[in-house]
Amino acid sequence: MRRRNRSIENTEADAINVSPLIDVVFILLIFFIVSATFVTLPGIEVTRPQAVTGKALEKNAVIFALSGENEIKYAGSTVQLDEIPGLVEQASKDRGKPVVIQVDQWADASVLAKIVAQARKKSTDVSIATRKPRA
Amino acid sequence: MKRRLNQEPERTEINVSPLIDLVFILLIFFIVATSFVNEVGITPKHKDTASSSSNLEEPLSFDLPASGQLLQDGMVIGLEQVAPLVRSNSSDKAPSVVVRVSPGARAGLATQVMDQAMLAGAQAVKLSPLAQ
Repeated sequence: MRRRNRSIENTEADAINVSPLIDVVFILLIFFIVSATFVTLPGIEVTRPQAVTGKALEKNAVIFALSGENEIKYAGSTVQLDEIPGLVEQASKDRGKPVVIQVDQWADASVLAKIVAQARKKSTDVSIATRKPRA
Repeated sequence: MKRRLNQEPERTEINVSPLIDLVFILLIFFIVATSFVNEVGITPKHKDTASSSSNLEEPLSFDLPASGQLLQDGMVIGLEQVAPLVRSNSSDKAPSVVVRVSPGARAGLATQVMDQAMLAGAQAVKLSPLAQ
């Protein structure tokens, strides 16, 4: 009876049930919202020095870069050495974020030492990004 | 389901298409914005100079002059000699290491010296600029 009725009244468009789709999409959305950290990248790519003891670093970090031309980069612009403590404090917002320095292997080591010293004024955890040597 | 003389009002459903559109846009935004930065690196830890009780003993110091050499106690050494030197010094306790860099020294070499020192079990590794 019902089936016959439907076949007769099939002019009405049968909508696809989208509730499971919405469920899945919501779960994905919440996952990505929670896992989003919004790291400010320095904006240049450097050749990291090789190190065998390199460990995975905290993802949610304040990242500086020291280019091969000894320019300190933060969030896409060149900064000066004495601006670093302020930038670290501003970016870390009392949460004590670690600092990661992406250093080019041909940069000046004394500039790197000064950056580490400046960053240490505001953060207890200052790391230097390296790359794994090829096995 | 059967409409009786078209008089019973049809059950109205909420149109969810705009909701799905919005949620999809949010989803794509967060997928794109999530930066999976997987950085490896070394963390040279050194005790602050305020608590210098353990720093009374002379730390093992390596010098990096602008010439690109690696000096320890005035002698030119190779990178592979750093770890044995640190180990031989750590007979009693893990030593602290200072890498003194002059302007012009390469950061890559300084990082590798620190890496080797930490590989050998150095407790505190400090990078200090040497004014020259």
